[in-house]
Amino acid sequence: MGNTKTQLRFFSVPEWQKEEKYLREQHKNGWAFVRVSGLGVYHFEKCVPQDVVYQLDYNADSTKQPNEYIQLFRDCGWEYLQNYAGYSYFRKAACEMGETEEGIFCDDASRLDMMKRVFVGRMTPLLIIFLSLIIPQMFIQSHSQFPESRAVFIFYCVLFAVYVIAFIQFGVRYWKFYRSVHK
Amino acid sequence: MDSHIRKVYVPMTETGFYILLCLREEAHGYSIVKKTEQLTHGEIKISPGTLYGSLSKMEKDGLIRFVREEDKRKIYCITDLGTQVLNLEMQRIARLYQSMEAAK
Repeated sequence: MGNTKTQLRFFSVPEWQKEEKYLREQHKNGWAFVRVSGLGVYHFEKCVPQDVVYQLDYNADSTKQPNEYIQLFRDCGWEYLQNYAGYSYFRKAACEMGETEEGIFCDDASRLDMMKRVFVGRMTPLLIIFLSLIIPQMFIQSHSQFPESRAVFIFYCVLFAVYVIAFIQFGVRYWKFYRSVHK
Repeated sequence: MDSHIRKVYVPMTETGFYILLCLREEAHGYSIVKKTEQLTHGEIKISPGTLYGSLSKMEKDGLIRFVREEDKRKIYCITDLGTQVLNLEMQRIARLYQSMEAAK
């Protein structure tokens, strides 16, 4: 039995809460998160099973990782793990918290702000790629005479579907959350 | 005070209120957390993500200003604009309290 393992997992842009749950489950089962690399390769090492809360923050300006950003989380008892695609990874053992479970956000206004940062930082570039690449390519390939075009066209159709699903997912989540905050 | 500041900060979040209240004296992020915990007898524990976001926004909007850095911790202080906003908020909360007492 090895002391390390790697798992391939894909979480789309708006699924950071799902990712947090996944990392917490792994730690409960005795696998402590080490880092994530490449396109969703999660590295773990064996540990004593423990309930540890994992949290992700998104800050466009924290990709430079200002010391004071990490220091503030450290002061509050959160261990900084890494930065991955604009997301900062933190963890804190549940037993170090009081009666109520803590997160890195304590009000809905700041949770909504985090969603906005993800939207501006990640969804906007996607939208630009979407509009400037996929849609024109679909149009070009569908009108092309080359036999390979059919395969390329299908490829772009799949990409189109993936992107549309990502937008709808994010839109629905954002809307639901916005409504729950502004009743 | 322009309409943007009024719209965003009056009324403000509980976290925002305690940040401004604490920054009447120079302080860094974690000392704001500690002081708020003391003032509220442990009822309000500001989380770092919320605090960092609020401090960045308030600095950008000119409610607080960066003073200096000490041991990787940024020290902030309230500005005149921040004091004006805080006073408005204090008046609003005092009015709420008076109405509540009168309704008893």
